[in-house]
Parts: sequence; C-alpha cells; structure tokens
Amino acid sequence: MNDRMDRRWKRFLGVPRSALGSLVILFIALAAVFLLSFLLSKTPARTLRYFFIGPLQNTYYLGNMLNTSIPLIFGALGVSLAMRAGSFNLGGEGQLYGGAFIATVSAVAMAGWGIAGVICAIVLGAVTGGVMAAFSGYLRMKWQTNELITTFLLSNAVSLVVGYLIAGPFMDPTTNLIATRKIPESFRFSRILEPSNLSSALVMALVMTVVVHLYLYRTKSGYELRMYGLNPRFARYGGINSGSYLVLPMFLSGALYGLGGAMAIFGTYYACMKDFSVGMGWNALAVALIARFRPVAIIPAALFFAYIESGARNAMLHSDVTFEIASIVQSVVFFLVTSSVLQRIGTKRGRG
Amino acid sequence: MNALLHSAVAIMTPLLLAAMGGLFTELSGMLNIALEGLMLMGAFSSIVFTYLSGSMIWGVLLGIVATMLLATLLAVVTLNLKSNVFITGLATNLLASGLTIVLSFRLFGNKGVVVFDRIGSLPRWDIPLVSDIPVLGAMISGHSPFVYLSWVLLALSSWVLYKTPFGLRLRAAGLHEKTLVSLGLSPSAYRFIAFLVSAFACAIAGAVLTLNLGAFVPNITSGKGWIALVVIFLGQKKPLGLLGASLVFGFADAFSNYAQGAWNVPADFILAIPYLFTLLAMVIVSIHADWKERIKR
Repeated sequence: MNDRMDRRWKRFLGVPRSALGSLVILFIALAAVFLLSFLLSKTPARTLRYFFIGPLQNTYYLGNMLNTSIPLIFGALGVSLAMRAGSFNLGGEGQLYGGAFIATVSAVAMAGWGIAGVICAIVLGAVTGGVMAAFSGYLRMKWQTNELITTFLLSNAVSLVVGYLIAGPFMDPTTNLIATRKIPESFRFSRILEPSNLSSALVMALVMTVVVHLYLYRTKSGYELRMYGLNPRFARYGGINSGSYLVLPMFLSGALYGLGGAMAIFGTYYACMKDFSVGMGWNALAVALIARFRPVAIIPAALFFAYIESGARNAMLHSDVTFEIASIVQSVVFFLVTSSVLQRIGTKRGRG
Repeated sequence: MNALLHSAVAIMTPLLLAAMGGLFTELSGMLNIALEGLMLMGAFSSIVFTYLSGSMIWGVLLGIVATMLLATLLAVVTLNLKSNVFITGLATNLLASGLTIVLSFRLFGNKGVVVFDRIGSLPRWDIPLVSDIPVLGAMISGHSPFVYLSWVLLALSSWVLYKTPFGLRLRAAGLHEKTLVSLGLSPSAYRFIAFLVSAFACAIAGAVLTLNLGAFVPNITSGKGWIALVVIFLGQKKPLGLLGASLVFGFADAFSNYAQGAWNVPADFILAIPYLFTLLAMVIVSIHADWKERIKR
C-alpha cells in the first residue's frame, strides 16, 4: 500500500504551483464563511465583522492569534520532515500532548535547577514525542508495518494514558482544574506583546523554521533524506543507509511535535491541562499540506489557519454562531488544497 | 462469559458494517479514511430524521441518503477535481465533526449530548432454536435487527465482490487500473460507486450507535472509523476476515468494559486498550507477512 500512496503524494508534490489556483481556493474558503454566516446567524453582518476584523482589531486579539500559530508551526515542520522522507506521521496529537506533559512534570520536578532545568525539561518533552514516532518508524523498517496507522493508534493510546495521569497521580490538588501543577515562574517564557498571550516562543518557532530549512536544503543528511523520500530504491543504489531514513526523520518529526507541546506549556499554559491540545496535531498537518511540506511556506500557512480559528472564536464570543464553523471552513480548505485540477488553473496546459 | 460474548457481538456490529463499506473503497484502490466522518454523519442524521419522521425505518433511510450526499462530495472532489484521497478523507472527517455540532446547535440549541425521549428502544430479536444452543445461542441471539442485517449485508457484499462482473471490475480498478481502461471502462466510475457503497454501510453503522443509545453525543464515533480501517487490514481484505477481525475487536472492547467494572481500572486506561490491542495485532500481522515473504525467497 505504501508504494501506491507514495505515488499519489509525489503527484501532489509535483503539480505545478499556480498563484491563481491558490487564490481560487482562498476565495472559495472565504465564500464558505459568508455562506455559513448567512445560513446560521441571525445577525450575519455582525458575525462577518467579528470573523474577519476581530482577530486584527487590537494587540490583544492580534497577539493571541500569533500565539495560536506557534504550536502549528512546530507541528507542521514535524509533519514536513517525515513526509519529505516518504513517511507519514499521523500521531501528532499524542506526540504533542505527551511531549507537553513530560516537559511540564519534569519542569516541576527540576524547579531548583534554573536554566538547566528549563533546557532539560524541553529536551525531555521533545524526546518523548520523538521516541513515539521513531517507534513506528522502527516497526516499518523492521517488518514493513504501516506507519500511517501505527502512529495514529499509538498517539490515541498515549493521549488517553496522559489524560489519566493528569487527572490521577499528577493532578494539582490546589485548583479545581483537571491539570498538573504549574511550572516554576522563573521557567516561563516572557510575554512579548502585553496584554496578549504572545510569548517569546514565537522567536523560537521562527528560528526552528530556518533550522529545518537549512537542514533539508543545505546539509548532506537533509539531501539524503529528500532523495530517500523521492526514490528509496535510487537512494539505496546511491549508497544511502536506507534503514536510518525510516527512523531518523520520524524521530525528528515527533520531536518537533513534542517541542511544540513544550512551547505551548512554557509560553502560554504553564500547566498541562487535560485535553488542552486537542486538534493542534491535526491542524498542524493541515498547515503542512497547505505549505506543501516546504518549511518557509509553513509560516504564512500557519498564520492563515490561526486567523480562521481566531476569527471563529471572535464571532462566537460576540455573535450567535458556534466555534465549530472554523472546522467547516478548514475542511473546505482541506478538500481543495490538493486538487491538481484547481492547482493547474492558470498554468500552461498539457503539463503533469 | 455468555454476557461477554453477547456484548462482543453487539460492539462488533458497527465496526463490521463500516469495515465492509471500507472494503469496497479499499479494493477499488482508494484508502478511505473518511469512514469515521461518514459514520458520524450517519449517526447524527439517522437519529435526527427518526425524531422528525417518527419512524426508525424512514430515519435510517434518510440518514443513508444524507451520508451518501456527503460521500458524493468526497468522491467528486477526489475523483473529478483530482485531489489526494487521504486529505479529502481528513476533510470529510473534519466537516462531519463540525457540521453535526453546528446543526445540533442550530436545531436543538445544544452543543452537548442531545437525548431523544420520543424514540423508543431498538427491538431485540430472539432466534428460535438457535437461542437454545448453550454458548452460541447466548452469543448470537437476542440482538437488535441491525446485527442480523450486518450479516446479511456481509454475505451480499461478498457475493457482489467475488461472484459478479461488477465486483471483478471494481477489484480490477484497485489491482490494475490499466486493464479496465483497456476494456473501455472507467476506473473512476467504479471508485465513485465504491464511495457510495461505503457511505451506505457507514450510515447504518452510525445509526446503530445513536439508535441504540437514543441520543446523539458529539463525536460519538470516537475513532471507530479508524478501527474499522484497521479491521480491513487485519482481516486481510477478505469478507470472512473482516468478520473475524471485528469479532476479536468487539471482544477486546467488551472485555475492557468488563474489566472496568470488575477490577476498578481507570476509565482512560480502558479506553486505551482497544488502540494498544490493535497496534499489537498490526505488528503481529506484519511480522507474519514478513516471515512468509522471507520463506518464499
């Protein structure tokens, strides 16, 4: 099955990009927002105003929107690394949640360690996500077990176990929330746009994007990874150790998800609440798809997704629609984003 | 033990139905991860239509129509607009999840659990003679009509897939699409039908969930569509294999429910067992396949 799917993905990556095609998709998505507002809201004009202008109206909403994009950027970088090597990582939800949980409890345990504690906790969170994904990569290397399904299954199981740990042994007895204890104040990232939640984790997201870009396009290992993803057999004839490119990209992919989870804790939430990250992993996958697994394109794609989500949240707060209209708009984007017919609009005919 | 086997059969029914639908798309050469979303759409629409029409039969039929409409969208975007089936499948799941909640809020002013009092419970059918057999009787008798319907449909789909020209061509679309093209047939047409068949089966699978409960719970399918996909792989893409795999799964689920009551295991652990169990089964199947491959060489 992997062979068959790989061909499809290559067709997707190989389709010529056209700005016009992307604009058509964007236009249809925005038309969906209008349609939904008129169908579902008694005050469509008010809904639309808060949906489109809301996220940008002041520094508070703008900062929160930027903040929403941070875990999406990390996760999307993770998806892209695995996908570029020809592997699928569908376990982002659990890797992000598990990474966030381990980072939080280790930060609480290492409260007296100062800066070393911060680094240790974040690294442990990343390793947690990485090991989860690498396990599926190992299974594929060893017995050709389909990693698309194993990552998903493992992630679901881990999410449930983490949920149990948060509500059980690691629950903070002093609050009414189902959450772990808060990380020490000295560990928290600084806020960079008061009064919003935006933290300095944004800088790290940008730095990480550059790092992943340089790794993929400027290092030998990154070149081999991409070559393996495009044609495993050719890469093997070229003398590349093919087994390692089933495990290493998966480890890095999971680690980036775990890192995204840790960043959300250290920058925004400070304690690991039960189910705080639901949906982040899938949204990161969507962002990676819109960006077609290119690191630099991930930033605008993540901002677009964060904008839709903040818009829906704003419309929910100030008007009469529910937040779930965001997932309908996102699904419209999902439906159309890989369409090679739409992508070819405006390009020369006869290609592909 | 008898109760355990009985509930294993009840639990396996939605899985079997969804996997059966997924088998058509899988054999036609499409990885259909939208089973989850189609099932959710079926679950929501069939109970809402049952509530509105006052009849379970009309409710399920209209639920099937609504789910097939969603599948038509999926098929048009995937086949006619030539999109990646994996992503359009994710989109279907996302759309079903959002749409059911938005509609439930719009219709009932409630984003949480919606209980439908007016709907009676499903009838239970006792099978004469069979119910007197010791273990087997307790296992397969006294279920809702859906359980028996699923077995009839399994036999029917097995016949369609393996004994009719249509089934042969559908499988050819998955095995070697050029064969179909050279016969002047369109693989896309067979895949389109396969999507509709999967929507039909998933709609019934979803209806089992909500009509059994008499209520709609947001995201009531909770991963069952994914598990159905795993059932297809575990069952080696054969109708009888599906029956065995979904029974194993139903048993694991029934057992974890039992364990929760008997040994006071935390609920989240219990919910994790089916996923871990499937993961283990996947690994064992792939080790076995790998081993067979090596012996051949």
